[in-house]
Amino acid sequence: MPFDPVTLEICWNRLIGVVNEQAAALQRTSFTSIVREAGDLSAGVFDVRGFMVAQAVTGTPGHINSMALAMKHFLAAYPPARLAPGDVLITNDPWKTSGHLNDVTICSPIFRGDRCVAFFASTCHTADIGGHVLSAEAREVYEEGLQIPILKLYDAGRPNETLIALIRENTRLPEMVLGDFHAQIAGGAVGGERLLEFMDEFGLERLEPLADEIIGRTERAMRQAIGALRPGRYEYAITSDGFGEPITIKVRCLVGGDELVVDYTGSSPASRRGVNVVMNYTEAYTTYGVKVIVSPDVPNNEGAFRPLRILAPVGSILNVERPAPVAARHIIGHFLPHVVAGALGQAVPERVMAEGSANIWGVQVSGKDLEGRPFTHIFFASGGTGARAVKDGLAATAFPSGVLGTPVEVIENLSPLIVERKALRDDSGGRGKYRGGLGQTIAFRVRTREPFVCSILCDRTEHPAAGFRGGAPGAPGEVLIDGVRPANPKAEQVVPPTALVEVRLPGGGGYGRESDRDPDLIARDLLEGYVTR
Amino acid sequence: MSARFGVDIGGTFTDLVVVDEITGAIRVGKVLTTAKDPAHGVEQGVQSLLDEAGVHPRRVRAVVHGTTLATNALIERKGARTGLLTTEGFRDALEIRHEGRYDMYDLLIDPPPPLVPRHLRREVPERLGPDGSVLRALDEDAARRVIAGLVRDGVEAVAICLLHAYLNPVHERRLAELVREAAPSLVVSCASDVVPEIREYERSSTTAANVYVAPLMARYLEDLERRLTGLGVPGQLYIMQSSGGIALPPLARRLPIRLVESGPAAGALAAAQAARARGDSRLLSFDMGGTTAKACVIDGGAPLVAREFEVARADRFKKGSGLPVRVPVIEMIEIGAGGGSIARVDRMGLLKVGPDSAGADPGPACYNLGGRQPTVTDADLLLGYLDAEFFLGGRMRLDRAAAERAVLEHVGGHLALDATAAAWGIHRVVNENMAAAARIHGIERGRDLRAYPLFAFGGAGPVHCWQVAKVLKVPRILIPFGAGAMSAWGLLAAPLAFDFVRTLRARLDAADWGALNRLFAEMEDEGRELLARAGAARESVRVSRIAEMRYVGQGHEVEALIPPGRLSAESLPAIIAAFEAAYRALYHRVPQGVPIEALNWRVTVAAPAPSLTFGGAVAGGAAAPDAVKRTRRAWFAEANDWVETPVYDRYALGPGTTFDGPAIVEERESTAVVGPGARCRVDERRTLVVELG
Repeated sequence: MPFDPVTLEICWNRLIGVVNEQAAALQRTSFTSIVREAGDLSAGVFDVRGFMVAQAVTGTPGHINSMALAMKHFLAAYPPARLAPGDVLITNDPWKTSGHLNDVTICSPIFRGDRCVAFFASTCHTADIGGHVLSAEAREVYEEGLQIPILKLYDAGRPNETLIALIRENTRLPEMVLGDFHAQIAGGAVGGERLLEFMDEFGLERLEPLADEIIGRTERAMRQAIGALRPGRYEYAITSDGFGEPITIKVRCLVGGDELVVDYTGSSPASRRGVNVVMNYTEAYTTYGVKVIVSPDVPNNEGAFRPLRILAPVGSILNVERPAPVAARHIIGHFLPHVVAGALGQAVPERVMAEGSANIWGVQVSGKDLEGRPFTHIFFASGGTGARAVKDGLAATAFPSGVLGTPVEVIENLSPLIVERKALRDDSGGRGKYRGGLGQTIAFRVRTREPFVCSILCDRTEHPAAGFRGGAPGAPGEVLIDGVRPANPKAEQVVPPTALVEVRLPGGGGYGRESDRDPDLIARDLLEGYVTR
Repeated sequence: MSARFGVDIGGTFTDLVVVDEITGAIRVGKVLTTAKDPAHGVEQGVQSLLDEAGVHPRRVRAVVHGTTLATNALIERKGARTGLLTTEGFRDALEIRHEGRYDMYDLLIDPPPPLVPRHLRREVPERLGPDGSVLRALDEDAARRVIAGLVRDGVEAVAICLLHAYLNPVHERRLAELVREAAPSLVVSCASDVVPEIREYERSSTTAANVYVAPLMARYLEDLERRLTGLGVPGQLYIMQSSGGIALPPLARRLPIRLVESGPAAGALAAAQAARARGDSRLLSFDMGGTTAKACVIDGGAPLVAREFEVARADRFKKGSGLPVRVPVIEMIEIGAGGGSIARVDRMGLLKVGPDSAGADPGPACYNLGGRQPTVTDADLLLGYLDAEFFLGGRMRLDRAAAERAVLEHVGGHLALDATAAAWGIHRVVNENMAAAARIHGIERGRDLRAYPLFAFGGAGPVHCWQVAKVLKVPRILIPFGAGAMSAWGLLAAPLAFDFVRTLRARLDAADWGALNRLFAEMEDEGRELLARAGAARESVRVSRIAEMRYVGQGHEVEALIPPGRLSAESLPAIIAAFEAAYRALYHRVPQGVPIEALNWRVTVAAPAPSLTFGGAVAGGAAAPDAVKRTRRAWFAEANDWVETPVYDRYALGPGTTFDGPAIVEERESTAVVGPGARCRVDERRTLVVELG
């Protein structure tokens, strides 16, 4: 069936509607606050070749784009010929999906009659996967938890009891973990049902002709957008605190014709600790970083990925090999859109942000509550984004991640934490013509009688977010336990029962010279206390 | 006394309708909204409509009023200078929100600025725990100093929102007293009164919004009551709430945030009223105007009610870009699809329609008021659905050549389509957008819309309903008589109702039934008392109970109706069955062996909805052939061609008339279009009932 522009628009919209329904069902049935309150998930539909055709509007880039790459591994393990209706596939292989064991990807093949016509996949941050509680402490991936190779979780509608028993035995929170698998499967079922209805209505025997049309048009638009950039070679580098020793991320962007090469040669080698990034995840955040600058309005699907070539030397921090530890890979991964912006900003300064706090901070606390019952709780928080070319940065806002904060009242309902303060951090935004977004401060205690373990996945405590075009850097982050900085803020800390844990998240960098700042904005900042001096 | 008034203040027009309950005569009026002094416009409209209808003011026993004033004050930021008192350490909750971006890819977005700027958000030393217990007593001396500071800074209103006070209002209430002691003239709202529910950001946002609009609404309502009294109208003033219930002025003054979206709510109520009158329990209300289209599921003769709404969105159609308010609101989906929606070809070479609208100025190209972009109205004109000579009953002439130029230049030329194909593309895409939105609205609530007849109104609804119904695969369309004044109709259809909510988190297998019974008794007694004071007969009052439940560990609740009367462990199977049925309808399967917990318990106490008889107004009308004014060429996909189509005069179509599509039915404010294969019948209420083949 040929697609005229009107029919294509309609079909495309329908597909997006279908994946949004998939994600809505998943989120609403999830048992994990990270999935439903924080939105740490992605959902999408794929054709039988494994090409992502549409993604849900929710989600976070590290999941979406890496899930797109994961599909090819699912197909390699289980080509459609080896699948039956009612099958559900699962994996958390960091190298094949989303870069650490906590992210579980579940894939549901969809059958029309006895022919597989599509896949729905979703990636969710699962509550617990065993091993070290989410931290950068491990020396090898084996310490980081249970590894699930690509396997059938359901075989023709029958649960794989062996696998489920194995998973149950290897996680601290089996009910939540298995409950969320159900939520992911429910999302796939809702999506599949809608997809089949849609295919019937439009008389589509197969999804591929529609996919080709969608992907082809997207690819052309993306190429056009790249072609409009000033050709050249643009370089940039960012230094991260790393784990014990700094890590450099170096990029060289080559713009020529309608292709863009992003080359990370020269970046640091793999770390001994779990801040390492697998190639899938590097590609995911690079693609996202390019897209927000070059073509924010082009849809995200297979076609948007094709004009990019992303290179990172094997064994470098951005392309590690098994068995490197990877649990805290987002700490480095979240820098990638910023390093790309630093490079491409030389070609299109008006389209980029200054550097921001970049990685979302994860605060994981485990111990025993007043009744002696064990608990583990994790919440995420964001610092400030970099200033934009025409306005200030956003305070306490996730970028590039799409993961949200959790309400304090919810944290306190789910855990023995008592949060004493969650506030914007005055003076933390880098000054400039436009000011960087403010970071935030979160201080909490735990209602416990015993020491508890606190693992804070953080960065930019030594290397703040740089400004752009004369803007000043944002304030660096800080971790304080009873007012004292631990030697290594990323390390697992054993904290005395009465201690106050305080995290101060970094601010974003400024854009342009401070001397050019509008006096009205200066006055407002002083009135509101965003800036106190 | 036996006449009732409905008054709906919209952005541009104030619609009025008066019903003489003795004769059944109905009169509809439309005056320009007087934004600076809205009560003045209402007064004038009421006066002139009473004169026209020959109804003596003394006979008006009720004035039911819907207004967008609260919404507009929030959008335009014209409310009171508001301060916030909150728990020490948390003044920025209102600004930190959820730390998200409402668009993943647009780097230039900003969240809506908080209603209370940071320098007016003040902290007081106190703290409650997550079980409502006092962890730190309120430091009253410190609180007095903080309040004095706010007063010095000239606030007119104060919102009080403390952590976990949804479980224990003790500190909030004491702070409210301290504020009143310090400055009796200030308006004060406690979050525990406005919305006693968990989640500090939504709760403080709602409370701030409530008190932000409160002074303005109080002034307005007083003014309006005075003016109505001045006109000699003795009847009670009722205010429409966004939940679809109506309330008395004191409640509206205390909780004005419950009035947001009362206009659109009234439209949905009109649909619900039609559903009940017809004995259909289900309808999909479809309201398409100049800028937006709204869809709303009517089930069991009543619209669905949601618990949260976003006002003043930075990007009107993007979730997450507005201020969240947790109030009961008739649940509908609104998208940027109306007669003024602009069509264009995007970078992918695809035809897109809306959400940008040409509005009324410059308007569609065919208005000839300077608009150059092709709009949905232009497409409808080119397809023969609209008559260039009979737009708004002939009050406005449309320029077909201008429409064709715009469509060819901006759409046809880029896609190698002629004017007809391009116009058909625009028509189809906008219909598809509306159908997609409606479908998501239905599916998110577990409704299969194929079982829901479409109830089409609004200026453009009847033009587009045929195609939308086909996409949604609904079997039947209802097009009410006088589709333009539906909101004012809905006001008169609204029942007097009060909504209550309490949070009491409990696992069902370990619920404290005594506490629950006390909770329900409290809410239900208060509701009955309020209704009795408003003159409702005690025995006619209906009470419905809803529990918001979930499986332990989940974060989203599913609502289910639960039994009336005294609850005990014996009620458990019925409650569980209701929850599981609701859950299964949404998500297909029910987890086994997971305990269920309830969070919020809700009660709606309502007097019966008034019955409305349309009959007296609309007698007469002819059989089909006599009602045909002329024919004109209209394009129909079913024929894949132009079809010479009969044009019916709506006013000449009497009850019982039947005819087949294709057909065009014209009334002053709207035109209905049905395609080949349609079977049409005019019912006794003069609703056009269209059966799809």
